[in-house]
Amino acid sequence: MATSSAIPHVLSENVREAVANCNVLVVGAGGIGCEILKNLALSGFQNIEIIDLDTIDVSNLNRQFLFRKEHVAYHDSITTVEYGVNFYKNFNLVLNALDNRIARNHVNRMCLAADIPLIESGTSGYTGQVELIKKGLTQCYECQPKPPQRSFPGCTIRNTPSEPIHCIVWAKHLFNQLFGEDDPDQDVSPDTADPELAADAGKLALSEQNNSDGDVQRKSTNLWAKEIDYNPEKLFNKFFQDDIKYLLSMENLWKKRKPPNPLAWAEASSHEGDSNMIIENNSKTEDMQVWSLSKCSKVFASSISVLKAELSNKNFLVWDKDDKPGMDFVTACANIRAHIFSIEQKSRFEIKSIAGNIVPAIATTNAIVAGLAVLHAFRVLGEELEKCHTTYVRQKSSSAKTVLMTESVLIKANPNCYVCSEKPSVNVSVNVDSMTVKEFETEVLKKNLNMIAPDAMLDGKNLVVISSEEGETEINNNKKLSEIGIIDGSILKVDDFLQNYELTVYITNYVPKDITEPQFIVHGNTENLRPIEEMNGGGKQDTNTKVEVVEPQSSVDDPQEGSSVKRRKLNPAEEEDDDLIMLEDDDD
Amino acid sequence: MGEKELSSIETELYDRQIRLWGIESQEKLRAANVLLIGIRGLGSEIAKDILLSGINSLIILDNGTVTKEEQLVNFLLTPDSLGKNIAKSVLAKAQALNPLVKLTADSDSIESKDEDYFKQFTIVISTKLSTDEIIKISAWCRNSNVKFISGDVFGMFGYTVSDFQDHEYYEDRVKLPKKRRHDEKIPKAEAVTVKVQARIKYPDLSTVIKRSKTGKMKKCRNIYYYLMLVLLEFRNRHKRDPFYTKRQEDLVTLKTIWADISKDYEVDSTMLTDEIFGLVFGEVVPICSIVGGIVVQEAIKAVSGKEVPINNVFLLNPLTYYGKEETIGIV
Repeated sequence: MATSSAIPHVLSENVREAVANCNVLVVGAGGIGCEILKNLALSGFQNIEIIDLDTIDVSNLNRQFLFRKEHVAYHDSITTVEYGVNFYKNFNLVLNALDNRIARNHVNRMCLAADIPLIESGTSGYTGQVELIKKGLTQCYECQPKPPQRSFPGCTIRNTPSEPIHCIVWAKHLFNQLFGEDDPDQDVSPDTADPELAADAGKLALSEQNNSDGDVQRKSTNLWAKEIDYNPEKLFNKFFQDDIKYLLSMENLWKKRKPPNPLAWAEASSHEGDSNMIIENNSKTEDMQVWSLSKCSKVFASSISVLKAELSNKNFLVWDKDDKPGMDFVTACANIRAHIFSIEQKSRFEIKSIAGNIVPAIATTNAIVAGLAVLHAFRVLGEELEKCHTTYVRQKSSSAKTVLMTESVLIKANPNCYVCSEKPSVNVSVNVDSMTVKEFETEVLKKNLNMIAPDAMLDGKNLVVISSEEGETEINNNKKLSEIGIIDGSILKVDDFLQNYELTVYITNYVPKDITEPQFIVHGNTENLRPIEEMNGGGKQDTNTKVEVVEPQSSVDDPQEGSSVKRRKLNPAEEEDDDLIMLEDDDD
Repeated sequence: MGEKELSSIETELYDRQIRLWGIESQEKLRAANVLLIGIRGLGSEIAKDILLSGINSLIILDNGTVTKEEQLVNFLLTPDSLGKNIAKSVLAKAQALNPLVKLTADSDSIESKDEDYFKQFTIVISTKLSTDEIIKISAWCRNSNVKFISGDVFGMFGYTVSDFQDHEYYEDRVKLPKKRRHDEKIPKAEAVTVKVQARIKYPDLSTVIKRSKTGKMKKCRNIYYYLMLVLLEFRNRHKRDPFYTKRQEDLVTLKTIWADISKDYEVDSTMLTDEIFGLVFGEVVPICSIVGGIVVQEAIKAVSGKEVPINNVFLLNPLTYYGKEETIGIV
């Protein structure tokens, strides 16, 4: 058989046979996925299945070499229901080549449930990682909690921005307020509940405002924008002049901060100091240079008119970094707000990185990681799972000589992991008198604990409180937890049939002292379930109502943060002796 | 389209990598002319990665003929290429990887090229060359300040050797501000990025890969350096690499060469085991993928002058997949 000789001759007979006969599943056909598929095919694998949930975009093309320009925007989606545990059981081995944490969590749970070895891989810039995940043998993808995505208190975004990113988050929220789906967490107007405001000053400002133009202030931004037919001048004056004036009236905020300067449309569009800017109509300059204030206001107006037209035949728009008018709008608004608050302004290119949460990716690292992933596959097929030690691709530095680094042992599972341990359980501290059942389902079970279709039963009472079946428990949605009997000391048995995953949730009643405290806390049984600080850290750990920087729907180029590069100390193999300690290349 | 300026098509296509190494590096790549010698298993991986990086031009030089074995491990070959020149046979698929790069095939032999030929390139990348050829060509490149890197894959083993001559480079280092107490009133100092410049003087490759018989060479602690020397010596003698159909006789030859080399360098001959020698047959595709990625990443560093390059040998451990830099030779 001609094709069988593609199987490397250096492999042992049993591995060569397994390569020819096994069924492998590759999840994800992006940069790493393409490389993995090529390596599998050229190594003599015969039965390969692929699932992918990505849209191919031009900026992905130079790494996804299996696709060409004519494939752009070809969309292949998977419904998770079709790919249940039984689907995964068809395979000897699953290789992950995903770019976001949510999908990785899901495949992790499916492979644990199906008891199929999973080779997990990820890259970020020059670094990458490949690791084996096997139930009962290694840690799972969720054994070490990942640091939360960087988030900011609502009042920093709405009242007192101090960094460019605060203005960018605000600009994205403004986009959603004007054109997107209604989300009360994304309010852009001044926040009078700022804990920094001494009660008096805030209330005073609020009452004054209500007497004058307070009406406009309180009305839904979206409705008001429609009423004025998205008149750019009126919109501009509201967000950049009136709202700022209102913020100035909250005097306490500015006692130790530089106060913002309200900006009127007329002033901005003819802003002086712009005349000596060279305006070149060149994509590079357009993208790389910081726009002048008058350019920002021009783009503000022009992008609004395009977006308004786009909105005319839709219910709402979804912001996407690769959608030009949306990206232009956010660039303009973020920079105008930055100017008002004397914050550094950024180029469209830089703002796109931050707003789109883009993780740089290169073909070389993808190729290296994909090579390692298939070497791991050989070991799994040779039943040498004990030898499948996690391997890291590292950036060469003047102090680190090791580019490819391998652990000397398998990384054991966290015995208290709420996903892969024998009887998974978590403690959830929550205000049972204020959180609704729906909020509990969405915020705690789905967003925090990564479930997809949870069913929850109140232990001891055999009462189903949340059901994944439509029409069964909707009646509970708006009830507070305590109203349906979930109180301090309650135990919930939660089951996600899609993930074949059961979790016991112990409820503790907890009342946040003030709004700077989190709404709820999820914690394991022991302390080691706390995130280990990452080098490029999750930023400051502010609490209060979290404002997510990453939009959950922007899955196309989500950070490939799933690769847990640097997420723990390594256990270097014995052979390596000289540069082990310098793992975290800290130069001073 | 200007020679230096990136077009909007390019900035969009290369967006994710520009976000890593910056527009300046991308412009240097955009101006780079690259020669790739050898388009077999490893060569095909190098071609892919270097084409995707967005260089100006690539010449693929190989006078070999497409064999059945080659078709199995080279994704740039089509089924109808059997018996044809290999450099010409990869053109169509290679060009499709990136239509913006000026790509040509050269079916001449490496012996037919004189010193002048190499002057037109920014960097020369070679695979499958003998020790003498590597030394000759890298010396020519040295005379004209053309960067040079060579790599090979033998089964599960692979390595790269580079001569970037007197190489100046910079890296961006992020300096984090000293931690302050929790005081919101003091504005937080932002991390600053500083450009750190440095230079490396690379040794002449004749002092790196040539077998020393004097016994005065500095010993290398990495045993796979000697495996590289053994395999190059095998190639020099037999004008081919170890092949699985001749496994038994090739193993005998390899061990004989190793016995000599271990004596010359006074290293313990039990360090290279039968298990290791059993792993050096054929070009294993995932290994090509890894070594190709390393070669091209180093080539990109050489061209862009950004990031710390490997100085000057990279050795991939075939048992553990450790991949390490070794600095070998005399500057």
